[in-house]
Amino acid sequence: MDNVRELVRRFILDNFLPGEDASNLTDSTELKESGILDSMSTLKLVTFLESQYQVEFEADDLDAGNLSTVASIAALVTAKQRG
Amino acid sequence: MSSLLSPEQLRLQDAAFEFAQRLPADMIERDRSATFDRAGWQRCAEFGVLGMPIPPEYGGLGLGLSDLLAVMEGLGRGLRDQGLLFSLNAHLWTNSIPILRYGDEEQKQRYLKSLCDGSLIGANAASEPDAGSDIFSMRTRARRDGDHYVLSGTKTFVTNAPVADVFVAYATVNPALGPTGITAFIVDRDTPGLVIDRKLDKMGLRTSPMAQVVFDGCRVPVAQRLGREGRGVLIFECSMEWERGCILASCLGVMRRQLDECVAYARTRKQFGKPIGKYQSVANRIVDMKVRLETCRPLVYRIGALKDANQDATVEAALAKLHVSESFVKSCLDAVQVFGGYGYMTDLQLERDLRDSVGSTLYSGTSEIQRNIIARGLGL
Repeated sequence: MDNVRELVRRFILDNFLPGEDASNLTDSTELKESGILDSMSTLKLVTFLESQYQVEFEADDLDAGNLSTVASIAALVTAKQRG
Repeated sequence: MSSLLSPEQLRLQDAAFEFAQRLPADMIERDRSATFDRAGWQRCAEFGVLGMPIPPEYGGLGLGLSDLLAVMEGLGRGLRDQGLLFSLNAHLWTNSIPILRYGDEEQKQRYLKSLCDGSLIGANAASEPDAGSDIFSMRTRARRDGDHYVLSGTKTFVTNAPVADVFVAYATVNPALGPTGITAFIVDRDTPGLVIDRKLDKMGLRTSPMAQVVFDGCRVPVAQRLGREGRGVLIFECSMEWERGCILASCLGVMRRQLDECVAYARTRKQFGKPIGKYQSVANRIVDMKVRLETCRPLVYRIGALKDANQDATVEAALAKLHVSESFVKSCLDAVQVFGGYGYMTDLQLERDLRDSVGSTLYSGTSEIQRNIIARGLGL
């Protein structure tokens, strides 16, 4: 779980927050409300996680509530891995 | 001018320029009547334009994007029919490329060969009357019904629609999901419920046909879904990234042709006893056209290099789209001004170039949208 969180954080920082201080992105930072993740970046993140962890997200999984923070994204990936 | 291209790419570009000059030149009348050149389309396909970025196993030539950009610049320089070039671009970037990149093997085998050889014309149905720049607020629904989806909604500004055989269309499977409900479909022209509602008349690019398309309970087999449910945004943005970066390559050719014509005219046209090019106000205008061309070309060819290396070009494509389109309009206006009253006349065909250019700051995302993309890339 911690590894998943760190990978999600790193992906978001590298791809959607160029130049941002890493300490400003915590596990509970609101990703949608703060505008860090829009629809396109969400799908890029999801595609990356699917490839990295061999899981599949359905359309309903992409509901904003499931992807609102680093912690909730990592929880969803972990739940998918457990089937 | 040529250092951005390899000797082989220069050869391809010259061949495209010579080929384009052999296509029919009856543009003034076809512009008036807004007539699409189907025979010209076929000749472009036979020349290889539509198959260049498609792998040989699907009927294409498997060349790099940089090669195709070089060819497009050559076509733009030699061909007066910018509407035909626009239709070719729409077909390539918003229909063939999404099918190549997101289609399953059966879809690729079924469509790509015919899209390459010109026998099928492709179109893209995304914009809606109330969803333009805010494209992902689209309302067209795709309701699952057994082994079909039922599409209902209206699409507008669909380039090629009156002549198209196959559409890549976007609809939401669940409006509550917002953009992540949007899903892409391949819809054949003869699918019951697909209606070409009305042809749209426009200021420029008049030989590129455009229409409104209505999906009226249009039943599309599940096998025709392009990619997975909810991944339409990814597919649409992929096609836009390619289109933004590449659609203006032919405009580079037009800018080069205009520059050559302006230089030649300014050297021979005499007023007050000397060539008008000897007047600084005229010469500077032509210098500005040259500067724009030389600053536009690297931006366009950088997209080719990035995509050929399988790299993301989101921001670079927006930069190219913004700078080239705005430069293109300015240079078209300058060309008219250099030729004075003659430039304003239909016979010289510069006024049509100007009308054709205006759309470039609007299609594939307005200049305002390109600036949004660039700002986001800067972390703003």
